[in-house]
Amino acid sequence: MKTQLSGPPSPSETFEPYETMRPIPLGVLMIAVALALWGVVLLFDNSEAVAIGQAERADVLADQPARSDADGASLFSARCATCHQPNGSGVSGAVPPLAGSPFLAGRAEVPIAILLRGIDGPIRVRDTVYDGHMPSFASVLSDEEIARLVSYLRERFADRPAPVAAEMVTALRGELAGGSGWKGGQELAARLAPELAPQPSFALASRAEADPATMRLVNEGTNGSWACASCHGALGQGSETVPRLAGLPAGYIARQLESYLNGSRRNESMAVVARSLTRQERVALGDYYALLRAPSNARPSLGGDIARGERLVLEGVWDRGIPPCVSCHGPSAFGVAPGFPGLAAQHPAYTASQLAAWVSGERDNAQQKLMNGIARSLDDADRRAVADYLATLPPVPVAATKERADDRR
Amino acid sequence: MNRILPLGVIALGILAFATLMLVIGPAIQIKSMAPTPGLANYSAQELRGREQYVAQGCVYCHSQQPRSADQAPDAERGWGRAAVASDYVYDRPHQLGTMRTGPDLFNVGTRLPSRDWHLTHLYQPRAIFAWSIMPGYPYLFERKSRAGPGDVVVSLPAEHRPAEGVIVAKPAALDLVAYLQGLDHTNPAPARAVRDDGYSERGEPR
Repeated sequence: MKTQLSGPPSPSETFEPYETMRPIPLGVLMIAVALALWGVVLLFDNSEAVAIGQAERADVLADQPARSDADGASLFSARCATCHQPNGSGVSGAVPPLAGSPFLAGRAEVPIAILLRGIDGPIRVRDTVYDGHMPSFASVLSDEEIARLVSYLRERFADRPAPVAAEMVTALRGELAGGSGWKGGQELAARLAPELAPQPSFALASRAEADPATMRLVNEGTNGSWACASCHGALGQGSETVPRLAGLPAGYIARQLESYLNGSRRNESMAVVARSLTRQERVALGDYYALLRAPSNARPSLGGDIARGERLVLEGVWDRGIPPCVSCHGPSAFGVAPGFPGLAAQHPAYTASQLAAWVSGERDNAQQKLMNGIARSLDDADRRAVADYLATLPPVPVAATKERADDRR
Repeated sequence: MNRILPLGVIALGILAFATLMLVIGPAIQIKSMAPTPGLANYSAQELRGREQYVAQGCVYCHSQQPRSADQAPDAERGWGRAAVASDYVYDRPHQLGTMRTGPDLFNVGTRLPSRDWHLTHLYQPRAIFAWSIMPGYPYLFERKSRAGPGDVVVSLPAEHRPAEGVIVAKPAALDLVAYLQGLDHTNPAPARAVRDDGYSERGEPR
């Protein structure tokens, strides 16, 4: 530069200014090197995040199908022990014992058939008659899991150490597909195990068929709104944020429809539906869905920690003010009519969104505002864990008759 | 200006490097990608509906890319799991969208499965959501004095019904709704699927 400024007195017209080569100042060089290093570190950091993400997802997937490689003992404590008790003694007068039960000691097909279809009627175990309401596990346990569970049960409670093959479950599943719960011990004994007779007879009460007007609401809708089944599905099974309705208490369903009307539960689409219904129609729809039986189509989908969810649902966290869900919603979260809905087999997105709605106030129709307080104590990871765990549970065993549904109410 | 050659070479080199890393590399990475297990291709009607989706400009307000739990509570909103690259195999061009003036629609078919709900909502969103700012699409429907055979009548609350006659859906509306009903990407994604892991730390929710 200097040469140009103090250059020759008469510079040539064609002179083109130029710069000579100069070394890059050390400071600039250091900044460039630092930036490059930073880039490499970020790349490395990101690749680590990807690796962590993949590993955690693989963990979650491995966890998800209810820990699909779980052995019979852990399946028993997760699936059976809440009702049949950890020592298999059952509950006197309510839940039949597994220990010493002739249903386990006979052919292996019998316990498999019970797990696949559930029981929905009176059953005699040894000398006691129980009013059977057992859920079907067909939609939440795989063939291998049922085989492992039955092998474990037979070895532990009936001294039959021979393991059961998954192929037997597969064959039986195909054979029994589509059936509803066993109509008590009588149907079971007649079909599979005559030696278990005599079994109490199943009182064939007339199945409560909904009247044509209610069926029209369910399948075609009204002039002003849509058919229930168009969102909730033909069996009331729901999907994602559309809740499963099958097996919820009748009174609970009717009360929710009222809540949409009076605004204590906010959902614009359901408010349109509720406005188009009369009081009698709301009650009739509750009765209809309370008796509907649908296999579970819910799957853990929020990436929640299932073990944490199980702990929250079964034990709660008392020092954080979170009671166990099952203390109000009943054993196995099957619901307690009329106030407490079943949570088992509910869709995780729906469960989580409702827990959030209790906090935001979009939903404010609980008795004594119980749920508002509980939901406030749950953080985002808790919500997802609870919702995902509940999705792994078997669906509510539904009373087969109108009379039974009334008992439960 | 001297040394124009080295300058040009370096400028083109930087451009070529960026193109390699941002365009060619990712293209190779996803070119032979198999669809997510369980993802079905569009039917002919859904493809016609997809054209409607593009033509009506849905993408300007609706995204089609649910995020992971560490970025947004999309799964709890019912918008579905975080999208992965193989979810878009059949989408050419993709409808990712950048705006979320309205909700994400990548799984609207499972969240809102009802055809009739969608018809009502497309005809007049405020028939359901009084506060909605979504435009109505009345030109995808027509008013008839009475529904003919095969006509799909839109069910409307009393205050939005025409004074006489009924509102029926034109084929374009039915196609669009079929496309929306078919938007379902809730099948679990493979653990190693190509996706955005951001800068997540170990133990964070995802």
